Amino acid sequence: MVGGVAIALAVSGCAGSGGDAGTNTTSAAPPAGPRTLTVWLMNGSAPKTLVEALHKEFQDSHKDVTVKFEEQQWNGIQDKLTTALSGNDAPDIIEVGNTQAPKFASEDVLEDLTASVNDFNGANWLTSLKDSGNWDGKQYGIPFYAANREVLYRKDMFEAAGITTPPTSRAEWLEAITKLKAKYGSDPDFQPLYLPGQNWYALLSFIYDEGGDIAKKDGTKFTATLDSPEAKAGIEFYKQLLEASGTKAPKDADEQTPEQAGIYGGGKVAMMIGLPWEVATAAKSDPTIKDKTSGFPIPSKTAGQTAPVFQGGSNLAIPAKAKNKDLAKDYLKLITSDKYQADFAKAGMIPGTSKDVSALQSDPVNAAMAKASTNGKAVPATPGWATIEAGQNPLKDMLTAYLTGAKTLDAATADANKALNTAFSG
Amino acid sequence: MTSSVDTARSAGATPPAARPGARRRARRPLSETAVPYLMLLPGVVIMLGLLAWPAVQVLFISFRKLDLGELVRGKVTWVGFDNYTKILSDPEFWEITLRTVVFTATVVAATLLLGLGIAVLMRHLSGWVRIVLQLCLVLAWGTPIIAATTVFQWMFDQEYGILNKTLVLLGFDSFKGHSWFASGASTLAVIGLLVVWQAVPFIAFTLYAGLISTPRDLYEAAAIDGASGWQAFRAVSWPSVRPMLALVTFLSVLWDFRVFTQVWAIRQGGPDGGSTTLPVLGYLRGIAGSHFGSGAAVAVLMLIVLVAVTWRYMRLLIRSPETEL
Repeated sequence: MVGGVAIALAVSGCAGSGGDAGTNTTSAAPPAGPRTLTVWLMNGSAPKTLVEALHKEFQDSHKDVTVKFEEQQWNGIQDKLTTALSGNDAPDIIEVGNTQAPKFASEDVLEDLTASVNDFNGANWLTSLKDSGNWDGKQYGIPFYAANREVLYRKDMFEAAGITTPPTSRAEWLEAITKLKAKYGSDPDFQPLYLPGQNWYALLSFIYDEGGDIAKKDGTKFTATLDSPEAKAGIEFYKQLLEASGTKAPKDADEQTPEQAGIYGGGKVAMMIGLPWEVATAAKSDPTIKDKTSGFPIPSKTAGQTAPVFQGGSNLAIPAKAKNKDLAKDYLKLITSDKYQADFAKAGMIPGTSKDVSALQSDPVNAAMAKASTNGKAVPATPGWATIEAGQNPLKDMLTAYLTGAKTLDAATADANKALNTAFSG
Repeated sequence: MTSSVDTARSAGATPPAARPGARRRARRPLSETAVPYLMLLPGVVIMLGLLAWPAVQVLFISFRKLDLGELVRGKVTWVGFDNYTKILSDPEFWEITLRTVVFTATVVAATLLLGLGIAVLMRHLSGWVRIVLQLCLVLAWGTPIIAATTVFQWMFDQEYGILNKTLVLLGFDSFKGHSWFASGASTLAVIGLLVVWQAVPFIAFTLYAGLISTPRDLYEAAAIDGASGWQAFRAVSWPSVRPMLALVTFLSVLWDFRVFTQVWAIRQGGPDGGSTTLPVLGYLRGIAGSHFGSGAAVAVLMLIVLVAVTWRYMRLLIRSPETEL
């Protein structure tokens, strides 16, 4: 019933909006007089300095144009975007999480930007984000910024346990866990690695590293491949790592419940697989932890290599119903330029349309992320993925079922495969 | 309504016709008959607009293919019973329906028993003890749903929850690191407990109101006749509380059948779909999956199940005004 009312409201929101959808184009002469460009960016995405400088430059070069900047919250953004994109006062620029982008791209509610790719620094795009914004060969979403996970570790504990260099292979990683246990194992609260049962981002790295993937792409159709030997090997390594670490983390929760950074901040954890800025979260419990923490890329099974990583991030897009598409394109041109993309690297994120990550090198935690970022991948670019993120994630269920022994590996992967295929087929 | 019109007439001047027996209602001017209906009109329009129209919309949408694209473009695509056949042919739907009905029945039964028990208890308590109890009930009732859900999640946490720690302290060592959310049944039990905890205060107060409306002399009479506590309850309390009980049962079924917030907040219908109920299914199909037509069909099916389950009570409500509901 709750759903029913929401549907009725969403529908009434678009009443009378039909008819003009297909006719608006950018070829018409821009209207005279003052105009307002509405930009929706997400909370915590673009650094404040970037936004302020960018808007000043944009307004200076576009007389009579005001940029109306509205910061949106991630929580509930899918519903909000659905309503906004169907309304008559759609924003001119939106930021879409890269796993949600295909849902909007496939429904033809975004402007096709294929012809303008070169205007937007197209040669330097991050592959994973380019794939997220692409549907059926057309580019609807422009890369914005990304981040990927790495292993965050306590330098002091590594040193005390006699680990001189950070692990560069799975074998060395497991060896480091053994050494940490030998040194600190007498403390019952100590965990060499905090790893909850449902950190599926980490699992993706292991599966990619084995040469597997979540799904196989054929045009716009995706088929789940979690039952492949490569995927199974990745899951087996997850289990091996989890058991070797003896982590106390719940097997039926992800890294957010409870928030792993808080537990790492408690000082009894030597490693966690997380994002660079989780160090700052941990520092809220213990400010000294920042200086004791460094990072290394998730090691590969092949010594000396880094494992491929899942890249989370954002795409920028212009809604099909936007009124100022010409201005929106100018805005995108500016924000995708090297000048402004450099600010993302300075803020500790991987820029989406620039290959210059030198600003990340100064900090060892960010440098580890940058090192792994060249081998970044995205989840299948299918509209079904948004359903998975907003609802029940079969990868999480699969991990918990296998790790707790509720299902065998074959049964768990087969069930997850089936659930994914159902989601992919809509 | 008739009585109010009659009052209006009697308040007026003496009827000119001296033969009262010859009065005919049909002889009244049309405008006079229409007045009460006109006065009802704004209320009826508001009720229809706010309650009936969205419900009818949901019914219409359930016969349409309404995905994000259709919604944005304002396109109307009728698909007949496609949404329904798709849902009904999915064995998972039947499993979820059965789970929802069992969950609702259990939670309603537990709520009513506890509520009735507390109501009877309140009648026997006196002075400050009753006030403390009532205060606790009101506080439990007044806690926002999400806040209560979060507190329950903390209490039942595998590693840091106070419940597991207490159980271990009491000597039940097997509860160390026990996961209360490992299976669907266990998860639903925790959710059920939370729902009952939140629902009991209202039920208890309503039934308590029914109980205190019983004249005290009846109990005195029963006591003089030598009735035991149980006999007094059956002979005196029960008849006065029964109509109230019928009403709160009906309301509880309605509320508990469509509980969404708590179920979603605890484990999003997991693990592995084990605590997915019909409202969660509707959300997954409709909102999360952007298949609004399919989601609306789930909502309509829920309504049908609900009507089927509560049919007896509905008839009771409609047919017998003497139960003073």
